[in-house]
Amino acid sequence: MLEIKNITKVFPGVKALDNVSLTFKRGEIHALMGENGAGKSTLMKIITGIYQAELGEILLDGKVLKNKSFQDAVNHSINMVSQEIQVIPQATIAENIVLDRIGQFKKKGIVDWKAVNEVAAKYLKMVGLDISPTEKIGDLTAAQKQLIQIAKTLSSNASYILMDEPTSSLTKFEADNLIKIVKQLKEQNVCVIFVSHKIEEVIELCDKVSVLRDGKYVGTKDCKELSRNDIVKMMIGRDEADKYLGRLNIEDKIVLEVKGLSKYGQFNNINFNLKKGEILGFYGLVGSGRTELAKLLMGVDSFDEGKVFIHGKEAKITSISDSLYRYGLGYITENRKEEGLILDDSVLNNFSISIWHKLRNKFGKINLKEENTIATSMIDKMKVKTPTPKTSVGSLSGGNQQKVSIGKWLTAGCDILIIDEPTVGVDVGAKEYIHELIWKLAKEEGKSIILISSDMPELITLSRRILVFKEFKITGEVVGLNEKKYGYQEVSDRIGAYM
Amino acid sequence: MLIKEREEQQVKEKNTIKSLFARSEITVILATTTLFIIFSLFSDSFLSGYNLFNISRTAAIYIFIALGQAMVVIVGGMNLSLGQIGGLTVVISGYCMHVMGLPPLVAIVAGLIVGCLSGFINGFVMTKLKLNSFVVTLATSFIFTGLINGISKGYPYTEIPKSFTFLGREGFLGIPLLLWFALITLIIVGYIFKYTVTGRRVLATGGNIEAAKMSGINTNNTVVLANIASGFFAAVAGLLWISRTGSAQPSTGGDWMVISFAVAVIGGTALKGGVINVIGILFSSFLIVMVKNGLVMVDANIYFEQAYLGAILLLAVSLDSINNIMKAYKARKDLKLAQQKVTQSI
Repeated sequence: MLEIKNITKVFPGVKALDNVSLTFKRGEIHALMGENGAGKSTLMKIITGIYQAELGEILLDGKVLKNKSFQDAVNHSINMVSQEIQVIPQATIAENIVLDRIGQFKKKGIVDWKAVNEVAAKYLKMVGLDISPTEKIGDLTAAQKQLIQIAKTLSSNASYILMDEPTSSLTKFEADNLIKIVKQLKEQNVCVIFVSHKIEEVIELCDKVSVLRDGKYVGTKDCKELSRNDIVKMMIGRDEADKYLGRLNIEDKIVLEVKGLSKYGQFNNINFNLKKGEILGFYGLVGSGRTELAKLLMGVDSFDEGKVFIHGKEAKITSISDSLYRYGLGYITENRKEEGLILDDSVLNNFSISIWHKLRNKFGKINLKEENTIATSMIDKMKVKTPTPKTSVGSLSGGNQQKVSIGKWLTAGCDILIIDEPTVGVDVGAKEYIHELIWKLAKEEGKSIILISSDMPELITLSRRILVFKEFKITGEVVGLNEKKYGYQEVSDRIGAYM
Repeated sequence: MLIKEREEQQVKEKNTIKSLFARSEITVILATTTLFIIFSLFSDSFLSGYNLFNISRTAAIYIFIALGQAMVVIVGGMNLSLGQIGGLTVVISGYCMHVMGLPPLVAIVAGLIVGCLSGFINGFVMTKLKLNSFVVTLATSFIFTGLINGISKGYPYTEIPKSFTFLGREGFLGIPLLLWFALITLIIVGYIFKYTVTGRRVLATGGNIEAAKMSGINTNNTVVLANIASGFFAAVAGLLWISRTGSAQPSTGGDWMVISFAVAVIGGTALKGGVINVIGILFSSFLIVMVKNGLVMVDANIYFEQAYLGAILLLAVSLDSINNIMKAYKARKDLKLAQQKVTQSI
């Protein structure tokens, strides 16, 4: 029995886990669910010793477990399949599989490669991979690498196996095979802790489901007594959003039109348009081409064929400063920490970075007073909770950081905004505020917005038209949302049909 | 509720303390003053007018050396060829005056061009070939060393006109001209990074290069520019060194690596980029000169000098990490306290 007791974990500006208690038993498949940023990954990293909790303890069969590193966890028969692919591409498959305990294969001080390869072959077969264990891992597909990570974890003979969205990069066939393996593990009295966003998968596979919301434990229920909607309710704290925000005043004027856009090896003949005052949703899985298309439009990357028209005129965009300053096109990144903000710099500077050149006098001196006035008014407008404008953005909470990240493009005066996953890693309160903000931008200020999101309720509530992306193609379009012709379930089914 | 209140209170407390220590030059000013007092007490000759004049002259040149390093550190890079650029400048200028008999002004212009060009080469290779600053400047440092040795054959150029050495040897109001020059330069540099778009964009590049790119900043340009500025300041430091010593020594720049990092980093230039502090650099240059000078005065073994400098540099770069470790420890303690209070109140 693995007991989590009163675990609290704090990151700068955010409480990732708040007094979480949970119990996992041998021989059960236990799902761990929650929205992005609910604290699932943090909890898994604490169980496996990658993070240390500030408060609370973990008990293994009644004894206090002090994992200071991942190796400690492995020694206590706890192992994990991580969501990201973490393999050493230059090493062989067998080497990757036994990497963490290659010392066990010593024979007179040197590695017994025959034994290593035999063990590796056995587990490769188990996960349904027909490849030689001596092959280098580098050239394999993402799905094959993921299966090798699973083989690696299985080969450790752990009693507790944590799987962080193991099926997200697998095809249907491979995922089915994995589910078979998980069921076998259960028969061998192993506890599988299964993190997944796919509710149907969880209901079908798991015995129990525990839900986290905003770093807090919501509850544990038997899967048999749960419906899809019950889980969603636990996860988001209310019924699945069937909220109708009203109508947007979408004008007939087309502000952005993409015609026959192609980038060799990625996109082939993409066509769509965006009308003034419209919120156009881009739905699709991560890697389906939504963000890549946005970056092509912004000039981060160049495309090979096709034309982009902004306000009816052909736009020649070769760099971000073109899209920003010549065409008023702003991109709010999904990685606000890596690409959006200068975390160590002040809120003030992060707001004004895009307009420094407009604040110059004829001698090139920036008017600090004007800069301060603009930034302060943005702080008020966006309701950024910050002690002073000089406070570093990095010390604010995720939601407030996101407000700065969006506000930056409003100071720049962009009238077409591409907003990429705006609510990843922000708490519920801030999420609602950001939704309200995006809505107001379109409704009251007549901004035209492309909203990229994997959060279906968010996308359906805000968008007035949705394009579905799959493998760098637009596979379908859902219209009629402004008139609310369909309910939430109907829209999500129609999106699902295009996937 | 209790935790929340406490958190809010902590935020408030933190901000008053933070605003005091955010002026990071406070630490270096205190350290410099302390050291000044200690050396004054332990050595009779330290406070002499001659010695102070000398310290100020060296510190002024260290300021330029440190600025050379700071220019690239603020974009998140480094310049290992800084000393060699300085050396090459010295040799070229010396060659112009001694061998070719050209007037000092031409020699100065030639030296500055060499410095800027070397910096440009560093920056151009980094951005065009997407190589990091470590390998590029490590390689070019050898190229420049080779050029220095090849051109000079190891011999110094000694025929330097009086008009050239004037700046390095004279003073105004009892303060060396070199220091006046350094002070004016620091003010200009400070102004550029606070008030001009270019300066701000260079800092933004160092703060987060991806975010800067996504904000429409051409980060390749800012990186090249920073490297040119680095070469420029190395050249200025080299020229001032000639003017101070009265001869163009090919060995100039050999000890600049540790000096440049020590002065810049102790002065509050963040190694990860994005931050420069000109007041800090001013004081830390005196700190380093005093350590070197004071050690001689108190009869410390001079052969160990590099070890002292290295230890000071290590301490300076460790301060941030030590601070973070302490913070994490304190946060954990506070949380525990808060939790205990909650349990007690229940």
